[in-house]
Amino acid sequence: MHPNEIVINDYVDAALDRAERADVERHLAGCVECRELVDDLREVRRQTAALQPMEPPSRVWTRIDRALRQNPRSARPMWQWLPVAALLVIGTAIGVRYVTSARPAAPVVAAPSPNGGGAAAPGGNDSANSAASRELAKSVEDDLLQAEQHYQRAITGLEQIANADKGALDPHTAATLQKNLSVIDQAINESRAALKAQPTSEPAQQSLLDSFKTKVALLQDTVALINEMRKGNDAGAARIASGLKQKS
Amino acid sequence: MTVPKQRQPLLFPSKSVTVGAGDTALVARVQAGDVDAFEALYKQHAARIYSLASRMAGSPDEGEDLLQEIFLQAYRKLGSFKGDASVGTWLYRLAVNHCLDFVRSRRAKMGRVTDTLDAAGSFEPVSPRETPLARLDLERAIEQLPAGCREAFVLHDVEGFDHKEVARLLGIAEGTSKSQVFKARMKLRGLLARRT
Repeated sequence: MHPNEIVINDYVDAALDRAERADVERHLAGCVECRELVDDLREVRRQTAALQPMEPPSRVWTRIDRALRQNPRSARPMWQWLPVAALLVIGTAIGVRYVTSARPAAPVVAAPSPNGGGAAAPGGNDSANSAASRELAKSVEDDLLQAEQHYQRAITGLEQIANADKGALDPHTAATLQKNLSVIDQAINESRAALKAQPTSEPAQQSLLDSFKTKVALLQDTVALINEMRKGNDAGAARIASGLKQKS
Repeated sequence: MTVPKQRQPLLFPSKSVTVGAGDTALVARVQAGDVDAFEALYKQHAARIYSLASRMAGSPDEGEDLLQEIFLQAYRKLGSFKGDASVGTWLYRLAVNHCLDFVRSRRAKMGRVTDTLDAAGSFEPVSPRETPLARLDLERAIEQLPAGCREAFVLHDVEGFDHKEVARLLGIAEGTSKSQVFKARMKLRGLLARRT
């Protein structure tokens, strides 16, 4: 009786233990067909191992280069403006009191949990994903978590550093700010939900990061407004406040 | 007869690899926005990734598109490179995941709900006496393999992953990986000339 295919395969790959190998070799000693099979499979392995890397056509780099230079927005690494934005926000906050409304300084988006917690509902059909798909999704989620943490540190730092002078902003401006923040937070939550459903969706990734960027920009404007008010620059403050209201 | 090159299994980032000084400098330049540095990185690693992509996809044309996508993705994600493995390993991992995503997506589009990967392998014994004497190009022969066993074969026999890793990557049982690789080898056996 011939050894089964798994045993033959393992023999060719030298993956059998001593006893199993001896059994196969005893069989091979008396079976020409299996000997030839083993020889041929080893030849396939030998030729495969000798395969050389294939050089890609030069046009591939040309296309990549063009994409990087002509579409900086789509090709721009998501990490390039994250630390800069965070630094700008934190740097602006030094020496300036940032006044919030009564909204508590809660994290914008809860850190993803294994159960898919946070703002987005857990994905529904997890059983359908292969192990490789889960790994890819986890890798994307890890990258986004890192990005979120960058932003959240900046945002939380601002809120914590300057929280004493409530009322420095007039109620109408404060309400506008709160409204804008709520809209952005909603966009963030929706992007998170989209990513839970499709972790590899690049539009959803970009949407989430754009929302964070918008939130940081809004906070920067608010800090700048407070700064202008403290300096007594009514014109500058009015200009910034007008911009904040237009974005609502 | 030339001695075949010893193919070492390629390491995944989870295994410790010493980061070269050259890696660090090049990555730092790319992270600073130096496209020329990224081109240097591309030239170092493109052949290996193109080979993987073409063979997994079963088509050099698809391989070109995948190569482009992989490197554009790498450019966007290089900020997440932690330096605990070589950048080549990081790129390779990215490429493997991207290629797997591609083949899975293509399979889904073709509506093959029942994956051939999990079908019990039944090899077709080919009598060596009946194989054609003409020697076929191995690359073209690999392209002609059925998708399921081609993927397992490329990952195991070409790229050097063991069956446990192949099974994890493809979401199949280890025994299925062995069966698919065996099936691929048998089909290639039928296409390649015997040694005399």
